[in-house]
Amino acid sequence: LSKCVVTCFQEYTLSEYLRMSGIYWGLTVMDLMGQLQRMNRQEIIDFIKACQHECGGISASIGHDPHLLYTLSAVQILCLYDSLDAIDVEKVVDYVKGLQQEDGSFAGDKWGEIDTRFSFCAVATLALLGKMDTINVDKAVEFVLSCMNFDGGFGCRPGSESHAGQIYCCTGFLSLTGQLHQLNADLLGWWLCERQLPSGGLNGRPEKLPDVCYSWWVLASLKIIGRIHWIDKAKLRRFILACQDEETGGFADRPGDMVDPFHTLFGVAGLSLLGDEQIKAVNPVLCMPEDVLQRIGLQPDLLS
Amino acid sequence: QHGRVKVKTTAQQEEEKRKEREKKLQIYVAARDACFTKRKDGVFDDEALQLTQQLLSSNPDFATLWNYRREILLHLETVQKIYEAELSFLESCLKVNPKSYGSWHHRGWVSARLPRPDWARELSLCDRCLSLDDRNFHCWDYRRMVVKMSGVPVKQELDFTDRLIGSNFSNYSSWHYRSTLLPLLHPQAPDTPSQYSLPPEYELVQNAFFTDPNDQSAWFYYRWLLGRGTRCVYVSREEERVAVAFSRPVNVSTFLLCFLFLVFSSEALLCLLPPGTISDVANEHNLTVHWTEKHSHRDCALYTGRSESWCRDTATDLELFRSELSVEKTSVLQSELQSVRQLQELEPLNKWCLLTIILLMRALDPLGYEKETLAHFQTLKVSTRPHIS
Repeated sequence: LSKCVVTCFQEYTLSEYLRMSGIYWGLTVMDLMGQLQRMNRQEIIDFIKACQHECGGISASIGHDPHLLYTLSAVQILCLYDSLDAIDVEKVVDYVKGLQQEDGSFAGDKWGEIDTRFSFCAVATLALLGKMDTINVDKAVEFVLSCMNFDGGFGCRPGSESHAGQIYCCTGFLSLTGQLHQLNADLLGWWLCERQLPSGGLNGRPEKLPDVCYSWWVLASLKIIGRIHWIDKAKLRRFILACQDEETGGFADRPGDMVDPFHTLFGVAGLSLLGDEQIKAVNPVLCMPEDVLQRIGLQPDLLS
Repeated sequence: QHGRVKVKTTAQQEEEKRKEREKKLQIYVAARDACFTKRKDGVFDDEALQLTQQLLSSNPDFATLWNYRREILLHLETVQKIYEAELSFLESCLKVNPKSYGSWHHRGWVSARLPRPDWARELSLCDRCLSLDDRNFHCWDYRRMVVKMSGVPVKQELDFTDRLIGSNFSNYSSWHYRSTLLPLLHPQAPDTPSQYSLPPEYELVQNAFFTDPNDQSAWFYYRWLLGRGTRCVYVSREEERVAVAFSRPVNVSTFLLCFLFLVFSSEALLCLLPPGTISDVANEHNLTVHWTEKHSHRDCALYTGRSESWCRDTATDLELFRSELSVEKTSVLQSELQSVRQLQELEPLNKWCLLTIILLMRALDPLGYEKETLAHFQTLKVSTRPHIS
């Protein structure tokens, strides 16, 4: 597996636009496997430094524009390395704060795309920096709750269909803001556990194919709302393991498909939530090793 | 990299592919560098539009290039023709990759800035796109924006979902959309559900689950359709307190909180009354709880000699549609129970069917149906394999 992560790093020109997240995915896998020391720490920290812009935001790569998605990835990486001082933290906070809109939502960057994913990125970044009080949390919560649907789930914006990835962002958001009681946990838990298919894998919406990344989005959401036992864990574990490629060690979306660092992280993190003892414990809200969050002193809420 | 099958290849094939990839990559890198240089130099010209177009056609997730194009468009005079050209370029991008966040966001950005917008064309683009994939949530979201910007009537959108559901019942996106449209069509719903046109809605969803009892889309929708929000007020003489519970989270003004109320959660409030207010059993007390949101109220009387009092009512307006079942809709629930039982006779082990029957029975008469519900639970436990619909 470690071999795969290293090779994936070499073929990456076409995915440059998401490089920072790619690094976060790869490094988090390595850390969860206890192999972080095999990566080039200084090179990565220098790269992140070079990606911070005047406005404080961080871009996916050099020459690209800053965005909340990559700002969060960069902050997560620096937390793994305990090196937040490598960047100008105050400026990051200003950047995140500046993207909050009148209605409480967050734009991904100055071009104004609104999405509950960005609400999550904003509060996750600030929580990791211990600066949550710099934004209007009440308004931010109000916006996320306005995206809640008839099935108890959440979509990208008010009126958007529920989607497991979006639900992960919104339950994670409500955990970080201490608002999990706003959820209808039984209704949402029911919808989430119905994502499990006869193969054991999980899909992201009704009547869709299973995909390893949903082992994370669905499972982490269930963990956050205290209902992880509502699915068949043994079957899911078998499905995730069937997605591991024997040659390279990486994970694909489904058995027999091409592997990539994204699915590798969410496969490994899913196995960790399922209690695999070869892997470090992962935090369901931030998808980072628990020991890293303990060091920072951040313990997001979970429902029991 | 979703759904890309891994194929075994020979060393020679691998080498040829590698060379081909390398060549493509060189062209790509040259175009990318040219774009970055132009942007750095503050050049906003046609050539930059051409270069970014070339790159975005095959790599629409390269967000920075969309940003550059927007800078160019803002730099040029707002000309209808240029913006229309941008829309047709976007259409070709969406044909190749209909699920790119960047392309859809850019389309919304351009449409909103078009001097003379053509929302009818945008709506028909959504129609075509959804006819190819009726679950594309990017397109659904864009459609909702178009509908909002151009004031498409709610009824017209409901009819659109009728057509989609008519051609394919298994269409969770359409059912979801209906769940947002229906409350808009019935903003002032009267107390008895039979007074407005919901029976066709029950018929539609029944057709769906009778056609395919294993498709979960219709069942989730049905569960919501049957539901109705409730509010509950409880007064305790001995504890000198009033509790108010809701079936969904509500906002409580902080003004109120300062004086009397403690919040358990946003679904339950507790009001501690000043000592001695209601403690005398010989007195009768009438309490009124006001809902500021809709200017309605609920009276709750604590009679002489009683130690407590319960009052329950059905929420109205937008709260009408909830997933919680309530006794207020007895006749509707009774006839729905009959229908679902018919289906259960045909499909004795269908878990959705059994589950719905249990929920309906518990809402209608939990004690009267106790034996039957327990038997159904047993069937669910034993006969339906877990996690398989």
